[in-house]
Amino acid sequence: MSSVTVGSGMVSEAHREGHPVITKILICLEGSPSGEAAVRVALAIARECEASVSGLAIVDEPDIRAGAMTGIGGSAYKQARDQTILAAARKQAASWLADFESRCSALGIPAQALEAEGRPLASILEQAQHHELTVIGRDANFRYLTHSEDGETREAVLHRAPRPILIVPESSPRGGLGRVVLIAYDGSGAARRAMLSFAGSGLARYRDVHIATVDEMGETAWKMAHRGQQILRDVGLDPTLHNLVAPRSNAEALFQLAKQIGAGLLVMGAFARSRVAELFSRSTTRGLLESSVVPLYLQH
Amino acid sequence: MTPRWAVVPFVSYLLLIAMLPLLLPRFWERNRNKLMVAALASAPVGAYLLWMRDGGHALLVQTGCDYVSFIALLGALFTISGGIHLRGSLVGGPGVNLGFLAVGAVLGSLIGTTGASVLLIRPLLRANRHRRSVTHVVVFFIFIVSNGAGLLTPLGDPPLFLGFLRGVPFAWTLRLAAPWALVNGTLLAVFTLFDLYHQIRDEHDGHGAASRPLARAPVERLRLEGGWNLIWLAGLIAAIAALGGLGGRLFAADYQRALAQVLATSVFAALSLHKTPRSVREANHFGWAPMIEVATVFLGIFLTMAPALCFLEEQGASLGLTQPRQFFWASGALSSVLDNAPTYLTFASLARGVVEAGGIRLGPSGLGALSSHPTGQHLLAAVSCGAVFMGAMTYIGNGPNSVVKAIAEEHHVRMPTFFAYLAWAVAILIPIFVVVSHVFF
Repeated sequence: MSSVTVGSGMVSEAHREGHPVITKILICLEGSPSGEAAVRVALAIARECEASVSGLAIVDEPDIRAGAMTGIGGSAYKQARDQTILAAARKQAASWLADFESRCSALGIPAQALEAEGRPLASILEQAQHHELTVIGRDANFRYLTHSEDGETREAVLHRAPRPILIVPESSPRGGLGRVVLIAYDGSGAARRAMLSFAGSGLARYRDVHIATVDEMGETAWKMAHRGQQILRDVGLDPTLHNLVAPRSNAEALFQLAKQIGAGLLVMGAFARSRVAELFSRSTTRGLLESSVVPLYLQH
Repeated sequence: MTPRWAVVPFVSYLLLIAMLPLLLPRFWERNRNKLMVAALASAPVGAYLLWMRDGGHALLVQTGCDYVSFIALLGALFTISGGIHLRGSLVGGPGVNLGFLAVGAVLGSLIGTTGASVLLIRPLLRANRHRRSVTHVVVFFIFIVSNGAGLLTPLGDPPLFLGFLRGVPFAWTLRLAAPWALVNGTLLAVFTLFDLYHQIRDEHDGHGAASRPLARAPVERLRLEGGWNLIWLAGLIAAIAALGGLGGRLFAADYQRALAQVLATSVFAALSLHKTPRSVREANHFGWAPMIEVATVFLGIFLTMAPALCFLEEQGASLGLTQPRQFFWASGALSSVLDNAPTYLTFASLARGVVEAGGIRLGPSGLGALSSHPTGQHLLAAVSCGAVFMGAMTYIGNGPNSVVKAIAEEHHVRMPTFFAYLAWAVAILIPIFVVVSHVFF
């Protein structure tokens, strides 16, 4: 197994656990402003890591042709409507891919165009397993022809993707991921996986890494923070420690710290708690997804 | 007496045609499969009428004659309205849109709500393509042009033509002008307020017509293509009205009257096909698939409905509906979720049963005597209004509703979901229907 030097240490531990350097990035294309920001950030990462990129445009054929209650005589009109909308979706997908390829070519980044017809979730998950990082706009709507918004697909991807996902809000700074990274550690398996995959990805190289924990109880937070710090030291990173005591919103506390230190990227485990637990108190992931102004590196 | 089980195929078939497009969309796309479902649902009814019911053969013949007349008329209206095209573009705004809807409110009774809807929806969408939100325009179009407009003549809506075929005089529905005016007038006024609000909001947010290139495109004068079809339409109306008035005197048997109606409607349909340039039909995206679908599905409706209507005429009074207001709401409620044509006949037959339960003999099965009876005519008026108006409550209450929705979505208008549309209908239509119910019934 190869080792890559990051900062002052070795990341052989991260590789041993199967967290590879980024060599292939999947970008989910879909015309929204956050989708455009996702392309921009993904191309910046590709240049930094010398990775290739794949642009994925999805035609949501099942939703377009989904059954609907129609009056007598309406079935023929529905079929015509389905054909028209499908044709428009295919044309739009081809346009996004052509634009993507020309941007990559102008930047000298190796790229491939992928067009998928099917459910967005299945299409993204199928391709995500072949890429070390998947980049999605925060407000991406892959079902734009039939739905006014699509938070469902994004959340399902975050719950089920086998590899890290980078969620990019529209407001992401133009300079890519910036020089400061904030890792949020809550002791969960998801947070550990996110930290280690980030450490092994090559993105930690030449960046100032901070780690923070949030808890109502200061002592608990402190112990957890030290554990997280140790995990990162074991893989060759030397993060700055932050221990946040927040009686209310974890997301808000992390967000404030990120602003304070000028973080250009937030790393955390996605939806670490069960869906049942999320029914009773608001998920930190969801809170950050909605309010973050910088990209979020997430892994479940 | 008609057994209860004879109603089951009818109810089952109505549920199937409502649910199959949702549950098995690929299956339902093919007209061959629709015919198979119709045949399966009708088989028990056919067997009952042929072998188990006295007078079943005559009922089957009468049903067949009604079906053929019904489909011939719908086919003729479909052909003639499909040969009329409105070319050109206007810039949509409250005034222009109000004009479209007002014209549609009248046209619906002349060429049918489906014909008026298909004729006007595309020019209306073109006129509004520069606007940020057009959903409300299409929703009110469905309320007014696709439903409320069709109340004044039997040509306006299939339920009323079924009533005409069963003996209701051609001009009888003109007495419904007052509720027609109340509903459509109120909807036009409410629509204008909605449209003005949207226009002002768009101007305020910087999305007004002045900022949109499409709105500044040259306005092409609206012109009618296929104008000869208006002549054929006038001829068709005259022929149907004449046969309706004189048919009983000229023809002894139902099949002779039906044959005459079919011949008359076929003549005008053939003239329309022959005289209308192909380019006009292409501009209308004209095709026979919708008409084949209607003919196929209604075959099942007519056959399964026959014994069900007999049952209701015999037993109707025991179901507890006696007042016009009850008939208005009951026929309307069912028309909201099932096609309004069979619903109309169901409740009209129920009304017959109620009148006859009072000791009045209305004569042979049919609605002619009901429409002239002092109590019966109020019940029939209530059923007509309920079935026609409340067909607007959901996308499946009346044929043109889902047609307009599909055409709007082709033009990239985001239409409400089934339940979101129902919410629109409940919020806007129910208060108006409450007023109609109190004022007229």
